[in-house]
Amino acid sequence: MHEISLVQGLLVQLGELARANKAGKVIKITMEVGPLSGVVADSFRFGFDILSAEDDLVRGAELVLITPMVTYVCSACGQTVTTDGERPEECARCQELFLIPQGGDDLILRQVEME
Amino acid sequence: MCDSCGCPSPSDHNHDHTHDHGHTHNHSTSTTKTVDVHTSLFAANDALAKTNREHFEEIGAVALNLISSPGSGKTTLLEYTIEALKGEINIAVIEGDIETERDADRIRAKGVPVIQLTTGGACHLDAAMTHRGFHQLQKQPGGDKIDLLFIENVGNLVCPATFDLGEHERVVLVSVPEGPDKPAKYPKAFTSSHTFLITKTDLLPYFDFPVPEASAEALQLNPHLRVIDLCASKGGEGFETWLGYLRELVANMRGRAK
Repeated sequence: MHEISLVQGLLVQLGELARANKAGKVIKITMEVGPLSGVVADSFRFGFDILSAEDDLVRGAELVLITPMVTYVCSACGQTVTTDGERPEECARCQELFLIPQGGDDLILRQVEME
Repeated sequence: MCDSCGCPSPSDHNHDHTHDHGHTHNHSTSTTKTVDVHTSLFAANDALAKTNREHFEEIGAVALNLISSPGSGKTTLLEYTIEALKGEINIAVIEGDIETERDADRIRAKGVPVIQLTTGGACHLDAAMTHRGFHQLQKQPGGDKIDLLFIENVGNLVCPATFDLGEHERVVLVSVPEGPDKPAKYPKAFTSSHTFLITKTDLLPYFDFPVPEASAEALQLNPHLRVIDLCASKGGEGFETWLGYLRELVANMRGRAK
């Protein structure tokens, strides 16, 4: 449940953002949750629901979570395959087992709507 | 200066600022405002981890982050490692647990500087906690002369894998009784680590733990992983390989310092 501490970090950031933009209310938050980030989207949302309810700035805001795709590059032949995060068993072209994931390992605050 | 405590940071000249507030796009009506941010929520932790790494290097210490489930033998490994390298390498330990000073007491009994961080419920250490722990450690006798700093994370194979503490190498441990399927079940702990230790190998006769299969599975996730199987309490070849690995890390850091 490290998602709770990440939500706390998000609320701090939203507070700074609101101050910088002289906004009093956050309406909508769009985030990217990489499938390899070690963050469980459901747990993040659960943590957000609990913590945002106690935060005047963020209470009632809509949280949109987007899951980016991951591209796996074959370490032998360079063939790429894009998945929703799941690691392919092997390279479809040369059967190499070691495929290097690119992207999908971050948790990114993309956009905030405020008023 | 450090973000957390204001201590002078080695990277004062080129500090990476993570507070990217983004620019304002007014896509909308007069009352609402949409701001494109594109900031990683890991950025604050990663920036502080970088500061930690510089702090460690400033005093010539190489830092290892130990990750495993509870009961894999992290503290026992440290006890035997400290004993084996006594008089040769100056070791210090930051202990992470949810509650109690018990692990720190065990390490303190070995006569090396140790700090216990109790997270009070949190399932992992982060760079800020490590930062505070390191400064406390430096105030202890012997805390100014550290070659090798072990950071024993909270027992958990999931959450600690996400947080850089500023370590130079990450070590993941799996003990024989836990079973060989941990790399497949908890991939991030293995893809983010440098070294994989299979511990309690004296129990191999009693458990179904095919060492070659477990290491092959881990190597498929991360071919750069160094795999060592050992029994800390009995010593032997695997434990010597572990000590050799630590000696090499310390020698490399000393080489860099010169």
